Amino acid sequence: MAMCPRKPTNLIVAALCSCILFTSLSPFALAQKKTAPVEATPPPVREEFKFGEVDLEVLEQADLLDRRFDREGLVLADEAANVYLRTIGMSLVPRDLELERVKWNFRALRDPQPNAFALPNGSIYVTTGLMALLDNESQLAAILAHELTHVMRRHTYVHNRSNRKKFLTMNVMAAVGAYAPGGIVGAVIMVVTTVAPFIMIATIYGYSRDLEREADLKGIDMMISAEYAPEEMVNVMKLLKTDIEGENIRLFYNDHPALEERIKYLSSYLGARADRVTHEMELHRERAAYFKIVEPVMRHDLQLALNAGRVRSAVYLAQRLLDFHEDSENLYWLAESYRTLGPRSAQLTEKELTNSAKKDAAKNRLKRTAEEEERDLLLSQAGKDNWQKHQQLAEQLYQRALSAENPVPVAHRGLGLLYEKLGRGAEAVAAYQKYLELSPSAVDRQRIQRRIETLKEKPQ
Amino acid sequence: MRDRSIVLKMQTAMFALVVLLTVSGSHQVQAQFIHPKIKSKEVTIRRVVVMPARVNVVRDSMKGPEGMAAESEQLSQRVEAMITEVLSKKKNVTTLTATAPSAEGSGDSQQKYNVADFQAKFDDLLPKIMKKRSDVKKGRFSMGDEVLNLNLDKDADAVVFIRGSGKKLTGGKTAFRMLVGGTPAFLGLQIGIVDARNGEVLLYTDPVFTGDPTTAVDRLRKALEKGFKKLPDVKP
Repeated sequence: MAMCPRKPTNLIVAALCSCILFTSLSPFALAQKKTAPVEATPPPVREEFKFGEVDLEVLEQADLLDRRFDREGLVLADEAANVYLRTIGMSLVPRDLELERVKWNFRALRDPQPNAFALPNGSIYVTTGLMALLDNESQLAAILAHELTHVMRRHTYVHNRSNRKKFLTMNVMAAVGAYAPGGIVGAVIMVVTTVAPFIMIATIYGYSRDLEREADLKGIDMMISAEYAPEEMVNVMKLLKTDIEGENIRLFYNDHPALEERIKYLSSYLGARADRVTHEMELHRERAAYFKIVEPVMRHDLQLALNAGRVRSAVYLAQRLLDFHEDSENLYWLAESYRTLGPRSAQLTEKELTNSAKKDAAKNRLKRTAEEEERDLLLSQAGKDNWQKHQQLAEQLYQRALSAENPVPVAHRGLGLLYEKLGRGAEAVAAYQKYLELSPSAVDRQRIQRRIETLKEKPQ
Repeated sequence: MRDRSIVLKMQTAMFALVVLLTVSGSHQVQAQFIHPKIKSKEVTIRRVVVMPARVNVVRDSMKGPEGMAAESEQLSQRVEAMITEVLSKKKNVTTLTATAPSAEGSGDSQQKYNVADFQAKFDDLLPKIMKKRSDVKKGRFSMGDEVLNLNLDKDADAVVFIRGSGKKLTGGKTAFRMLVGGTPAFLGLQIGIVDARNGEVLLYTDPVFTGDPTTAVDRLRKALEKGFKKLPDVKP
């Protein structure tokens, strides 16, 4: 066989051709790398699911839970808020979707701890604490989309079937004890535990990581379909990372799977859809619309936060509300928050946010009443300084609330409580009397009247 | 917020108490702590309002504990009714209707919120009381004058809060316990009586008895009678 002689010119041409080919193809390769294949998510509904006896038991417990929440005054009876949740929720549910034994029901739960959960019967609860913390409607849609996926993909039933034995062997009572903080938060957990321990555990610890990941990613798909800004799912996780109270509590929405991990995989999933990222201005507009609608819920949550001793959260949320809209009522809420904050610092230091410090704080909260805590804090100079600063701030804010347009009468009551604590008896009586005069059928009339009587009996 | 270790310690204490009951052959124990104002007769409890009880029982089987929602609700009602009966028959204390209509407009839901928030406030205070029950005798605990926001009957002297938890054993678990040991079926209650005018905790009692909490009616009555033993009788 005759061999072709190799000419050096041929080699040069071949080298040049390969260079041209490489340089022309490399942008395609890089582009391919940039838009890496989007992680495949399962279909929105688990079509193959068939109800069994065990599932019907869970369903019965879920129905019972709905009734208990309602009966025990844990559901927020604010029609506008519940309709708003329903409107967003239903916009996320695929059209014409019929799910066996699911009736969509969206409700706000009176609980200052940021959390949300779905029951397998289609009831979705978002706490007032979470609604008050969010920035815009897309973030609320992110939460609802996540929870909707749990229902649509029948996660509660699937999880119950696979983990039933494992969970039953857990000491449910120990779990409740460990995760039952005081206030309304404890009440919600108590009710869930009594009625449905399994659902309580799923709510607190979350489902398995795979199911939660599925809910997160499907949630993004649903947000995009409903034209919500999908990147807000990541921003919700970032918001939830903020630890205002330094609590040693780990509910699903602040722990499982670790928020960092969730942020990471969600960002990576979204990275492939970067074209969807919403314009900042649009988000600002959305924020204003959200605050306008959710303002009454935020105010309700402020009272719950103050009742539950979540005073730092109250200051943070009231300030946000005031920044959005300065009116008499919002000024009053910030004043109330500062008055209740008393000798505590408005923000925790890094040292106070360490795990050991949180554990110590939790122990102390169990030992001391709020009054005892204040008394102990007032022994230190920092506590005294905080007390003075916060009482002054509160007084100024109450005064501003009273000089604003349409002043709220409760600001007089707040001033009265402040003056009484400061030992300014006569001023306290005058403020209380003004409050009762402006608000003759107030729910706390009896309490305030008694305070006036006691103050009048005291020698000045 | 409760710390896990402290709660576990409390549960260990409850476990120890139940074990003690079993070993001693007795069926009941209770401790009562009374505010000095009651002892000195500065305050007399004549009329009370009983808040809805929250008693939770679990069924302990070989698989582990399972919730008993319906039974827990029934038991809560039974405990509430029995406390009313014991206070009336043994102490001549009258029970008034729990809720009066709220003063301001929003009606039903506002009243529901008030009750829910005040129950929550008791839940917040309870672990502190349980941690040092004897401090009730020093008058350390109070729920504040927000109690007046409940707008109870003006004649009410005090408000009764009831919490409880118990365990019922299945046949298999009972047999297992007889062979290997472990806690018997029991019911432990935590009852606080709070001044309806200023929120001070006037009495705290925590009766415990062994036996099936869903059926042992007589033991429950006896435990409650003993639980309120130190509460002074009201002269008719």
